[in-house]
Amino acid sequence: MTDKYIYIIVALLPLASFILVFQVNPYHALVIRAILGAIAVLVYVILGAADVGLTEALVGTMLAVTLYVIAVRSSLVMRLGILKQNTPQPESYFTELVTSLKKALDKYHLRLELVEYPDNQSLQQALVSQEIHATCIEQQHSQPNLEAKYQTAIRVHRLFEIMQQELTASETTLTYVPIANQEHQ
Amino acid sequence: MDSILIAMILALLIPIYEAWQDDDIWQTILAFTSIATKTSIMMLVISVSRDDWSIGVVAVIILSVGNAGLMLMAHLIKRINEA
Repeated sequence: MTDKYIYIIVALLPLASFILVFQVNPYHALVIRAILGAIAVLVYVILGAADVGLTEALVGTMLAVTLYVIAVRSSLVMRLGILKQNTPQPESYFTELVTSLKKALDKYHLRLELVEYPDNQSLQQALVSQEIHATCIEQQHSQPNLEAKYQTAIRVHRLFEIMQQELTASETTLTYVPIANQEHQ
Repeated sequence: MDSILIAMILALLIPIYEAWQDDDIWQTILAFTSIATKTSIMMLVISVSRDDWSIGVVAVIILSVGNAGLMLMAHLIKRINEA
């Protein structure tokens, strides 16, 4: 019963857990959690607990990891409200701005989601009712010499801090809009 | 029989190293597929060597259902990169 290979297989378990603990990207960590589950199943099975192994494989590895991917996907996101553009311009400042926003958010493993609204009023309403985290609108041409073409208003303070730190592009001005965190009627 | 299993454990270390090192999420998933399949095959080998069929049934279920779960997870992760 005490075969030598059992010791080597059991030693794989702390190895996989160390790789999991030192992983910073949440999606990578979830896939490595699945790897840890696969190795744990092997350990359970060679020690004689086939039922525990089957439960770990089906619930711990398959169901839990899939549900966590859904949870991380829907929480690690910045929803940016924009106005619906009638004429899409491929080489505009806006695509440049979205690229630099995505680059800034990538460092924090966040995702950018663009939400289109038909007019300015519904855009502001969505920001106040906390449907979106930030709005990005084209600036009025009061000062034509000004570099910034867009105005980004962010209601989450941490996102504002990240953007202030990371966003070096001059396509937009950043403003923080404090919105009271209260129940809406 | 022991030497076969030790060779399989050494082969298992290759995708573990790959999962640790690589930054691409698809490479990590590839490593996970490799590890899941290899551990199932190791379970089958152990079940034959011990003549214990309950282990063999678990290995076969993991080999078939685990791949279905992997497809589901890969589709979810694919939609992150699209959005």
